[in-house]
Amino acid sequence: MNARRRLVPQRLRRHEKTPSPADVLAVVRAHHPHADLTAVRLAHDEAAQWHEGEMRRSGDPYVTHCLAVAAIVAEMGMPPAVVCAALLHDIEDTACPPGRIAERFGEDIAHLISAVRLAELDTVSPDSLTLDTAAPTLEQAVLAIRLADRLHNMRTIAFLAPARQRRKASETLEVLVPLARTTGLTDVSSELQSLSAAVLQPVSSSFAVTARVLAMLSLVLPTRQRARWREEWQAELACLLTWKARAGFTFRVLLGAPALSLTLRRPVGREHSW
Amino acid sequence: MGKLRMTLQTQLVLRALLEDPAKQRYGLELCELAGLPSGTIYPILARLEHVGWVDSVWEDPAVHEEAGRPRRRFYQITEDGAEQARSALAHAYRARKQPLPGWAAARPAADGGVS
Repeated sequence: MNARRRLVPQRLRRHEKTPSPADVLAVVRAHHPHADLTAVRLAHDEAAQWHEGEMRRSGDPYVTHCLAVAAIVAEMGMPPAVVCAALLHDIEDTACPPGRIAERFGEDIAHLISAVRLAELDTVSPDSLTLDTAAPTLEQAVLAIRLADRLHNMRTIAFLAPARQRRKASETLEVLVPLARTTGLTDVSSELQSLSAAVLQPVSSSFAVTARVLAMLSLVLPTRQRARWREEWQAELACLLTWKARAGFTFRVLLGAPALSLTLRRPVGREHSW
Repeated sequence: MGKLRMTLQTQLVLRALLEDPAKQRYGLELCELAGLPSGTIYPILARLEHVGWVDSVWEDPAVHEEAGRPRRRFYQITEDGAEQARSALAHAYRARKQPLPGWAAARPAADGGVS
């Protein structure tokens, strides 16, 4: 049992970037050094294959969501089988034939994926919640994936319509935040709480508009960098008190976006000349 | 292989970062220190980070949660970056101080002609 577990910030600094398959594998390996990770690799390939061509509302390929959810679950310390299920948690929405997942990954993982889809979190018994990350029960594994799913959806909520954002944020505050807190996932609960509060707290319409423009603007950046810059800009925006200051900031970010995009797409190198 | 152009704006941002190299600063704060309009410095900061002169980290959750605002991204000049930046700024300063070629250095004479 591991009460008051915090996510490991050193490996994947929350949503600084969209994790790559290698990032997910590294986190699983850190928690389970002797585990065979072949299934995790295969699960990623399977998710990438069946979600190919699907996009998130943010414009990111859908598989980035699967990877982000898997990374959060891996950070919780969940075993490889649960990470596989996280990678495949939305596979039933694709053209993947029924039975294929059970055939390739086993009945347990297929059953877990179905349970994730069917679980009603508001009826979960609080007694069973503290995560045993070494050997989680089915209910704990379902909860871990559902919390990770909601956390990533809340991180990218700027792309939903405002009414839907508010509905999701209310549900998160009422159901998901208390569950995460009871489970001992303090980082998850506090991040969910602040993301939901940011949606629900009354903000001026000009703030909402400029925040939305900045979110859209991040689409010109490389996929893996969007979340970081989007969050950074929105934090800066929150410090600007007047409509004029916010509009000016957004306009200047807009002007600099092509240069920023080019810089971020350059191969990494530390040599320089001046 | 990164190449850093020492534009005036880049020099201003470097000067702001070098004012207190141990201090972490967020984007708007750097804009103010550098005297640049808000929102202009992200490409510069990304370039500096790209070449390893600057590191960036998210703000400690305890601090921004206490302040009741979203977490900021903080930038700090690296040790190597500070050394390189000082040298680059000195180089840029020397370049500005170089005498102009004769034709460009010609000054208008008192009567309005060229001396």
